[in-house]
Amino acid sequence: MKTSSAEHPTLEILSLYAAADLPLMLRMRTGQHVKHCATCEQQVLALQSAKAELRREAQGEVLTGFEAIADWSALEADMLGNIRVGVAASRCIENVGRGRRIGFRLAWLSGMAVLFMAGWVTRVPTEDSQLIVTALRRAVGLEQAPYNGTVLRSTRDGISVKTRGATLTILHPESAVVSMSSPSSVTARYVDDDSGQVTITNVYGQ
Amino acid sequence: MFTASNLRVMRGAVWLLAFVPWLTQPAAAEEKGKWLGVEFPHDAPVIPVAFDFGPSTVTPRGSSMVIDLHAGLVLRNVGTKPICGLALRVEARDVSPNGKGSVIKPSLFVMPGEEFPVKVDMQLMRPISAARSEAAMVQVTLDCALFSDLKAYGPDKLNSKRTLLVYEMEARRDRQFLARLLDSGRLPELREELNFENQDFPPRQLGFELLRGPHTATVREQSVSVNPVTFPKGPVQPLGGAAQVAGNEVRSPRVDVKNVSKLHVVSVAMGWIVGDDHGRDFVAGALTSRLPIDPVQTSFITESGTLRFLQATGKPMVINRLMTFVNDVEFADGTVWVPSRDDIDAATQDYTLRRELATSPEEERLASVYRREGTAGLKRELQRVSLVPGKVN
Repeated sequence: MKTSSAEHPTLEILSLYAAADLPLMLRMRTGQHVKHCATCEQQVLALQSAKAELRREAQGEVLTGFEAIADWSALEADMLGNIRVGVAASRCIENVGRGRRIGFRLAWLSGMAVLFMAGWVTRVPTEDSQLIVTALRRAVGLEQAPYNGTVLRSTRDGISVKTRGATLTILHPESAVVSMSSPSSVTARYVDDDSGQVTITNVYGQ
Repeated sequence: MFTASNLRVMRGAVWLLAFVPWLTQPAAAEEKGKWLGVEFPHDAPVIPVAFDFGPSTVTPRGSSMVIDLHAGLVLRNVGTKPICGLALRVEARDVSPNGKGSVIKPSLFVMPGEEFPVKVDMQLMRPISAARSEAAMVQVTLDCALFSDLKAYGPDKLNSKRTLLVYEMEARRDRQFLARLLDSGRLPELREELNFENQDFPPRQLGFELLRGPHTATVREQSVSVNPVTFPKGPVQPLGGAAQVAGNEVRSPRVDVKNVSKLHVVSVAMGWIVGDDHGRDFVAGALTSRLPIDPVQTSFITESGTLRFLQATGKPMVINRLMTFVNDVEFADGTVWVPSRDDIDAATQDYTLRRELATSPEEERLASVYRREGTAGLKRELQRVSLVPGKVN
C-alpha cells in the first residue's frame, strides 16, 4: 500500500520527472518515491496529462495556420504587393536623400567658386588675368601666337609700330583707309574735315 | 605688404605724379619741349610759326605708361617755289631706332609766304621702368619737301621724296582726268567718279599686321600662285609668282618682273590685291622695293616679312587668292611712272577693283571739295592747282 511521506519531492522535480528530464540518479530516486507515494504519483499523472493536452493544442494551432495559407497564389500576390510597397518606399527615401546630397554639393561648389572669384578679383592683377585669358585663347586657336620682333599693326584708331616693349601709334579717324606702303611700313590716308587736306600717316619698323 | 602688383601700382602713381605738373601747368614753350620737340633745318623752305599743344594725357596701363600727344603745327613756306608735298618725320626716342613714323601732306599747293596746318596725333606706350632721356619724348622734323618743279629738299631718311613724287604724279593724272570731264560736260561721269561714299561703293577697309624678322613656318602653309594684273603701257611687267599662305598670313611672296622699257629702273612698287573666301578683292597697298633692272632684263622681287590680313572688324581674313600689279616705277634719272587712266581701264573688267586702283589721295581731296562746293568749287580748285607746271603723265 502506497503511503504519504514528509520527504516528498518538490513540484519542479516531479514536473521534470514527468517529462523524463531528470538526471539518471535523481530520476531513479524520484521514481522509487513515486512508486510508494500515492500523492506524488497523482501529481506526476496530472502533470503528464497537462503536458499531453498542451501538445495536442499546439498541434491544433499549427494545423489551423496551414489551413490559412492553403491558397498559395493569394499569398504570393500579397507578398509581392508587400515587396513592391517596400521597394517604392525605399526609393522614395533614397531620392529624398540623393537630392539633398546633390544640393549640398552644388551649394558647396558654388560657394567655393564665389570665394575663388572674389579672391581672384581682389588679389590677382588685371594684366595677369589678361595674360591667362590670352594664353587660353591661343590654346584653343582663337588668337594667334605672340611675336617678339618688330610688329606694325593697324587698328581702328591708328597705325602702330611695336618694338622692345614700346609702341608708337599715329592716330587717325575711323574713316581712314589703311594700306601697306613698303615691306616695313603701314600707311593710313584720310581727308581732314577741318582743312580739307589729305593727310597720310606712316609707321616704319626697320 | 609690398607685393609685386602693389609696387607696380606705386611706380605708376609716382610716374603719374611726375607728369602732373606738366599736365596742370600752362603750356609754356619749355614744358611743351619735354613732350614734343619740333626742329627744322635752318635752311628749310618751311618753318613752324605756331605750335598748339592740344589736350595731351598720361595714363598708367598695367606696367606701362600711355602718353597721348595732340599737337597742331602751322608751317610757313619761306622758300621761293610753291610746295606741293611735305613729309614730316616723327621719332619717339624710346622706340627708336626700330620704330618711327611720318606725317605726309600730299597735294598741297602752298605758294611762297603762305601758311598751312599740320596735325600730329599720336600715342606712345612705354614700360614705366624704361629709361628716359632728357631730350623731348617725341621729335618732329622735316624729312622732305617737294616743290612744284618736282625738285625736293630734305634729308629724305624715309624715302619720302619718292613717295611724294608718286602722289604728285597721281594727283596730276587725276586733275587732268577730272578737268577733261568738266570741260567736255560729262557731269554724270564726274559725279560717278567723285561720289566715293555712296551706298554702292563703300570703301573696302583692311587691317594689317606686318611682322619683321624671322618667323616660323606653320604646317598649314601652302604655296599659292600670284596672278599678275598688267597695265598695257607699263614699263615693268609682272610675270607671275608665288607666296606661302596660311589662313590670313602671307609669307615670302616672290614676283618675277621684266623691264620692257629702254630706261634703267632703280625701284619698283608692287601693288597687292588679296581675295577673301567670299570672293571680294581688296587692294592691300603697294610694297616698294629697291630693284635695279636694266632695259629688257628680268628680275624678281621677294619679301622676307610676314603679312597678316584682318577684316575691318579685326577678325582674321582668310586669303583665297593673290594678285599683283606694278603700282609705280622709279627710273635712274629720278622720274617716276604711274599707270594712266587708260592703263587702269584696260587692266581689269572688275568695276570695283578698277575704282580702287584709280583712287588716289588727290581724287579723295577733290571729291571732298566737290561734295562741299559742287561743280563750281571743283572747277575753281582745279584752276588753282593747274598753275603748277610740271610733267603730266
